[in-house]
Amino acid sequence: MKKSILSLTAVSAAAVLTACGGENETVTMYTHNDEDEMQAFASGVEEATGVETEVLRMSSEEAWSRIDAEHPDVNADMMWGMLHSFALVAENEEDMLASYDSPEWEDVPDEFVDPEGRWYGWSYWFNALAVNEELLEENDMDVPESWDDLLDPQYEGEIALPDPGTSGTAFLFVSTLMQEMGEEEAWEYLDELDDNVGQYSQSGSAPAQMAAQGEYAIGITWDQAIFDRIDEGYPIDIVIPEEGVGYDLDVAWIFEGAENQEAAETVIDYIGSDAGMELAAEHRSMVTKPDVDGTIDFEPNLIDYDAVWASENRERIMDEWQERFD
Amino acid sequence: MSDNTAGSVNSPAKKKERVEKGFLAATWGIAALLFLFILAPVLAVLLQSFGIGAGAFTLEHYERFFTHANYLQSLFNSIAAASISTFVIVCLSIPFALYVTRTSTWLSSVYRGIGLLPLVAPPFIFSLSLIILFGRRGVVTQVFNDVTGLEISIYGFWGVVIAQVLGYFPVAYMMIESSMRNINPSVEQASQDLGAGQGRTLGKITLPLAGTAILKAGLIVFVMALADFSNPLIIGGGENFLASDAFLLVTGQQNLEMAAVLGVFLIIPSLLVFLFQTYLLKGHDTATSQSGGANNPLNPRMKRLMFGISTLVALFIVVMFIMVVLSAFVQIIGVNNTFTLDHFADQSGFDFLWNSVVVSFFAALIASGIGILQGYMTARKNVPMKKLMEFTALFGLAVPGTVMGIGYVLIFNGAPFYLTGTIFLLVMNMAFRKVGVGLEAGISKMQQIDPSLEQASQDLGAGPYKTFGRIVVPLLTPAFMAGFVYTFMTAMVSVSSVIFIISPGTNLAAPYILNLADQAAVGRASAMSFILIVIVICCMGLLKLMERKWSINSKL
Repeated sequence: MKKSILSLTAVSAAAVLTACGGENETVTMYTHNDEDEMQAFASGVEEATGVETEVLRMSSEEAWSRIDAEHPDVNADMMWGMLHSFALVAENEEDMLASYDSPEWEDVPDEFVDPEGRWYGWSYWFNALAVNEELLEENDMDVPESWDDLLDPQYEGEIALPDPGTSGTAFLFVSTLMQEMGEEEAWEYLDELDDNVGQYSQSGSAPAQMAAQGEYAIGITWDQAIFDRIDEGYPIDIVIPEEGVGYDLDVAWIFEGAENQEAAETVIDYIGSDAGMELAAEHRSMVTKPDVDGTIDFEPNLIDYDAVWASENRERIMDEWQERFD
Repeated sequence: MSDNTAGSVNSPAKKKERVEKGFLAATWGIAALLFLFILAPVLAVLLQSFGIGAGAFTLEHYERFFTHANYLQSLFNSIAAASISTFVIVCLSIPFALYVTRTSTWLSSVYRGIGLLPLVAPPFIFSLSLIILFGRRGVVTQVFNDVTGLEISIYGFWGVVIAQVLGYFPVAYMMIESSMRNINPSVEQASQDLGAGQGRTLGKITLPLAGTAILKAGLIVFVMALADFSNPLIIGGGENFLASDAFLLVTGQQNLEMAAVLGVFLIIPSLLVFLFQTYLLKGHDTATSQSGGANNPLNPRMKRLMFGISTLVALFIVVMFIMVVLSAFVQIIGVNNTFTLDHFADQSGFDFLWNSVVVSFFAALIASGIGILQGYMTARKNVPMKKLMEFTALFGLAVPGTVMGIGYVLIFNGAPFYLTGTIFLLVMNMAFRKVGVGLEAGISKMQQIDPSLEQASQDLGAGPYKTFGRIVVPLLTPAFMAGFVYTFMTAMVSVSSVIFIISPGTNLAAPYILNLADQAAVGRASAMSFILIVIVICCMGLLKLMERKWSINSKL
């Protein structure tokens, strides 16, 4: 018995050592991207550059809390997939983001990249409603067309909304309402909406899945989460509320003091390359490289979302949210 | 407890003999580890709740706790759910254990296995199956709605209770079963010979004899259910519960102070139960038999009743597992039931499974090794601080995972022990939460071994280390295996503590599955759970096989 335990130990120890001492470079990253798209991106990087990735997926706000707590010893080399408004906060934190001037990003319009090379916007996404039409029909409910429609008592208990405490999708929704209606009105709206919300989820993608499975008739979520479910064969549709929706530039960055700075730079290069952008375009509605088409073929009704305002007022909005809803 | 163990009748420790340098060094080493990986994190949480560490002493966070309805609600919900789950579990465990121990058909051995099945799955697996079956569009829900016209929802308080009942059932069942099995059948026979019916015998003899075990089982289940964090997260539907709220406060808002306050309210009941159990229940153990006779059979009416209840429980557990397996192998369960293997094409999932196996293996090795060594020294050597150390190791078992996790975040995220993000920290976390199991196994084994065996070895000229290596270690191997198997199994499926300290490259399977469930990716979560369950069962089988082989060899 003892011997077999010893030999087992030796085998596992050897396995651990080989796992650590591989030839390829390895980059560790945090992401808010969904697991399946992130796995596709990871294999894309490895095929093109040989760089291996180790990824920890969290909701945006969770990722931010973690970075904020760990800074200046962040436990990852880089971030791939994060809200633009967090990049705007991060760039003002001392020694949080590393500057890098990538040659691959020259074709991307300046507005999507930090002039000092601290963050790179690779795609954008927007809020949208996932509606389960079968379920709506069964229960004699109308298909909602606007944010305002969601307040209708017929949807009582039928709406899934992510919690802005964890989800960036939800924060985009809340801050969009504030920019569209003004803060006071937006809070009143959210108070009323609360009556119809059946469940607050942690993740921003979950409401799409819940609508898809018919758990709730309507999910407030983001575009690609809905397209992915439609591709998988779920009976749902996307609705863009007629008031317009907020969008987020999704960004990547390298942390100051990253252990594998060079490999992380290789990954940033890859994201901006044609191959990287084309791969991203398979999973995102729109990417930032001109001439690379994303997954949608219609013009979503995007508002002129102010990410700077959102980043400057985020803490205040979140405090208020917690007072009201937690 | 220490009174029994440390001072077992003719322990050499009594003789105030000098402790060998090696054992002394080991004691100090273990003491340092116990402090660093069990006590320090808990103390850090306690201090943080008073604002110490982030600023000056303050009661502000407690004030906030008592003035905000949602925090009080989480306290109430956690206690209420844990109480109800515990009550139901105990009520179900007793007939189940009676049926399994007092009939000997193939069916009762099958039931025995089914009763333990939930142990090998992540604790939130039942939330997943409950949603598949009883969610708003669940398989059962739709039929129910059509028939009754009522709308039921599994999300919320009652969903959490049902998931807890299923998930923690085996813990209570295991303890009650073993105590019922050990009741001397002649006591029950005597009662029946004197004219008491079966019902009366059960009520007046069997249950009182198993009483301590039942009480203990209830207490342990209560503590586990109170600390449950993943079920409220998945099926709680946004209801407030202590452990899940503490988790969200840390991960979502980086509000470590409030999370620490919630942690303190989690730890107070656990600590009380732990003290009660350690100091008041010891020495009241069931009157067990050494007769080895078979347990008394049940009369037909009683047997039918017990069989009925057991069958319901067993069926429910099996159906839950079947739902997980089914949803792993079809496109979208309930929506598109075509067979697929797509959910298994998950490269990072397999990497994380491997991480889990490696981490759990080393954690089990350390937990059991240190526990056993400490158990030996506690029982035989007059080492310093042994009662305090024993207390600490056992206390590690009672600390809610969420509290431990928050404590690890507080301590290991900076100097002098910057360990966050390492596999090592995960191993130590899992190991020291379970080191008490090895310790208890070691102590009780040492109590069964006559010290004269070691004395003889020493008299024949072997030094204390040689005696330890040649005589004690082989005798303790079964206890080591028991501790190893238990730690490995619990480490494979645990989430509540490690979820705070995983990082890129050191992610584990169970937190990954929770993350998938959180994105409502039920198919992939089921597929990963299925593989995890299979791996745990296979590893257990392998270990059992090795153990059996070893025990046959050693008997020769």
